[in-house]
Amino acid sequence: MTLDQFLSIVPQSIVNGLMLGGTLSLVALGFSIVWGILNIINLAHGAFVMLSAYFAYFMFTGFGIDPFLSIAPAMLIFFVFGYVIQRYIINNVIRAPLLVTFLLTFGLEIIFVNVALNRFGGDYRSITTAYSGIGFFIGDVRVPYIKLAALLISLLIAGALHLFLSRTRTGNAIRAVGMDIDAAKLCGVKIGQTYAITYGIGAALAAAAGVLIGMSFTITPDMGGAFNLRSFVIVVLGGLGSVPGAVLGGLIFGMVDVFAGVLVPGLKDAIAFAMLVLVLIVRPQGILGKAFYK
Amino acid sequence: MTTLLEARGVTKHFGGVAAVQKVDLSIGEGEMVGLIGPNGAGKTTFINLITGMEPLTSGSVTFRGDEITHRASYRIGRMGIARTFQVVKPFRNLSVQQNVAVGAMFGAGGAHRSSKEAFVKAAQVLEFVGMGDKLERGADQLTLPDLKRLELAKALAMEPKLLLLDEVMAGLNTREIEDAMELIRKVNANGVTVLVIEHVMKAIMGLSQRVVVLHYGQKIAEGAPQAVVSDRKVIEAYLGEKYAKRVSSMRVADAAAIKSRGSDAEN
Amino acid sequence: MSATEQPAQVPAAKPSTVLARPIASRRNLIVRGIVALALVLLLVFPFLDFVSGALIRTVTVVVMAAALAQAWNLIGGYTGYPAFGNVAFFGAGGYATAILMAKMKVDFLPAVLAGGIVAALYATLLGFPVLRLKGHYFSIATLGIAEATREVVANWDTLTGGGSGITLPISPLRPQQFNQFMYFAMLAVFVGSVVLTYFITRSKLGYGMVAIREDEDAAKSLGINTTQFKVAAFALSALITGLVGGVYAYWNSSLIPEDAFNLDYTLRAILITIIGGPGSLFGPALGAIAFEFLRNFLWDRFPGLQFTFLGVMMVLTIIFMPKGVMEFLTGRRRFTPRDLLQYVRDHRVS
Repeated sequence: MTLDQFLSIVPQSIVNGLMLGGTLSLVALGFSIVWGILNIINLAHGAFVMLSAYFAYFMFTGFGIDPFLSIAPAMLIFFVFGYVIQRYIINNVIRAPLLVTFLLTFGLEIIFVNVALNRFGGDYRSITTAYSGIGFFIGDVRVPYIKLAALLISLLIAGALHLFLSRTRTGNAIRAVGMDIDAAKLCGVKIGQTYAITYGIGAALAAAAGVLIGMSFTITPDMGGAFNLRSFVIVVLGGLGSVPGAVLGGLIFGMVDVFAGVLVPGLKDAIAFAMLVLVLIVRPQGILGKAFYK
Repeated sequence: MTTLLEARGVTKHFGGVAAVQKVDLSIGEGEMVGLIGPNGAGKTTFINLITGMEPLTSGSVTFRGDEITHRASYRIGRMGIARTFQVVKPFRNLSVQQNVAVGAMFGAGGAHRSSKEAFVKAAQVLEFVGMGDKLERGADQLTLPDLKRLELAKALAMEPKLLLLDEVMAGLNTREIEDAMELIRKVNANGVTVLVIEHVMKAIMGLSQRVVVLHYGQKIAEGAPQAVVSDRKVIEAYLGEKYAKRVSSMRVADAAAIKSRGSDAEN
Repeated sequence: MSATEQPAQVPAAKPSTVLARPIASRRNLIVRGIVALALVLLLVFPFLDFVSGALIRTVTVVVMAAALAQAWNLIGGYTGYPAFGNVAFFGAGGYATAILMAKMKVDFLPAVLAGGIVAALYATLLGFPVLRLKGHYFSIATLGIAEATREVVANWDTLTGGGSGITLPISPLRPQQFNQFMYFAMLAVFVGSVVLTYFITRSKLGYGMVAIREDEDAAKSLGINTTQFKVAAFALSALITGLVGGVYAYWNSSLIPEDAFNLDYTLRAILITIIGGPGSLFGPALGAIAFEFLRNFLWDRFPGLQFTFLGVMMVLTIIFMPKGVMEFLTGRRRFTPRDLLQYVRDHRVS
């Protein structure tokens, strides 16, 4: 690729990167809150994204419900789903060594993916609405409506989460548990319940992202796995325990991902990994540092 | 008396806070020195700096004439500085003898020792500290006094020239403290130089030939035990501590109040 | 001589393995007997008349799983670093062997050995930055290594054949001979890995590794060069994994990135080690037998749900017996339903 060719795609890539990054930060936000508060790496997170995409797909093909209208019910369903999983499965080993929780969520991921494969088959599916593929132009840069809406909705949900954590009683309890579990316990916070709520929120955020992702990407049972590594990198990039950090990390990651796709196609994960190692060596506390959902 | 350890201007900053500030300390061969100071005075940090567990912000440390300021901690251990940890760090899934054998394998005397010989050495050291009957016991089944002894045994198995003891008597009863003092005296009599960090004043007074006092990371007094405890600055530091505690607890409460007001304002 | 007559000063040095607490000597004898018997059985059975090629292949799969688990055991079990990217070394060893055999006409044995060495070197190179990380960071970083390596291999068409893979020379042996040959090659790697682990557990390296797992700061202050030891454990783990990868490549006669870098291999190695008991010499072998038996048993009955069962097995194993059957055999933990529930209660928050 010549320099001129490259320069000509820069504006479009920036816009694409932002739009991808918005959704990625939504995925990473759910991953981040579970990691930050429960101190577990939730490898089932990507599976929630995938299952929710299927949910939106079937709502659309089965009942003709517009995917955007599926976001709220999906979040609700997955909140309950996540709550139950934390409460009755993960909670059993929550204080066991790290390898144990890591493997447990990995096991859950494998179960979800294979149940999906079994039920829905391995076919590629996509949600094609009347407005799919339509967009507008700013100069030469094409902006698809769906992806723009996905970016805005992601930012909106991130903002809502930020408010929830800082202004509500439950949100404060969650933050308290993340900061000092013993102190929180003394203050009467129910740890088990708070953990379950937090995990539920994580799953709900994955669900919202899943619907948005399902609208612009193909849906397969194994689509979720890639989001785990990406979420991890984004959280490390932005700093664990920070909502703005996750959003910023997501946008940066989206940008890098799009440019990497243009320049070195096929090496996206390698780039993500290189970014991870680089950040861990240069700035282990992340761009915005450790915050704890202040 | 030849100098064994020489610390000059040792300083450590955590962010903007100076945990240890320009501390000079010289320890002669065969000495037994006490290091005291109120909680948070920087005693443990000072030991971490000497043993290379944390990097110094500035200053220098020499041991037997060698500069060890930026040396890796395992190399410092092999040169002959051993330490215990205030919060004990046993290898919980290993037996008592295995715990100590690790020290015998890798410490100053470890280079010429096979892992089998290390077990013999470990048994000897455990006999010496009075745990000869617990060689096979799992480290996860020990009582606190025994855990403290185990810490000491691991350090001794390294055959150090200099032993840094970080509150080995905290949490022990009077009887156990006397046993521990006896043991430390024996260690010193065998030619090991000892730096004792302790809150138990009786132990410090009974053991040390010389006492150094840290306060807010600075050395505020040094000298014979009796002279130091009657030093005005030292008394202030300690009596002041209670006062300071009250103030700081009030501060915390204030800060919390301000914070909650602040977040109310945000609403 | 009774115990009281022994001199108190110098008790006999205990050549105990690092993890299992000194076992009574009669028990040791029994263990030795079982091991010897198992070894004889493993050496003889492929030559028996009634043994089919399919059975030999099945046993080869079990032996391969055990070797991969034993390799993971070195870094994950003994050193306590939860590595999730060991399949990178499986693939690296496999591809190195494949490239040497297919493109440079190197013989099987030197090619496999080179594969192991390539994997070990790769681990050494990666080990220095990655082993500075701890906990989650280490796990994900190693996971990332595996994914990144797969992508690089899949895109390096000229050397690796890219996504369509690489084909190895066909063996001149007759099918049954080939089965036996591959079985013994895999068995050699596995037995080698057990012998290696055995010597490590009695060496300073082994004690250093375990000390790092138990408490890295304490290990450092006792004079252990933790970086060097961790990298050594990682490289040895990679060496075995790479050798297995090399043997597998020839056995399979072709290699594609999706298989050679399939995370499934890593997961199975970890799961088998956990089932068998991490940080124990024979744990991986027992775990491999238990796991593969259960897998075959379940998969025959529920085709299509095989991976779901892998997940369910992971979840159940993790919840109820994260320290494995080895603990059961050494009598360190009882396994009544009540004990299992107690374990769960201990790790729960209310």
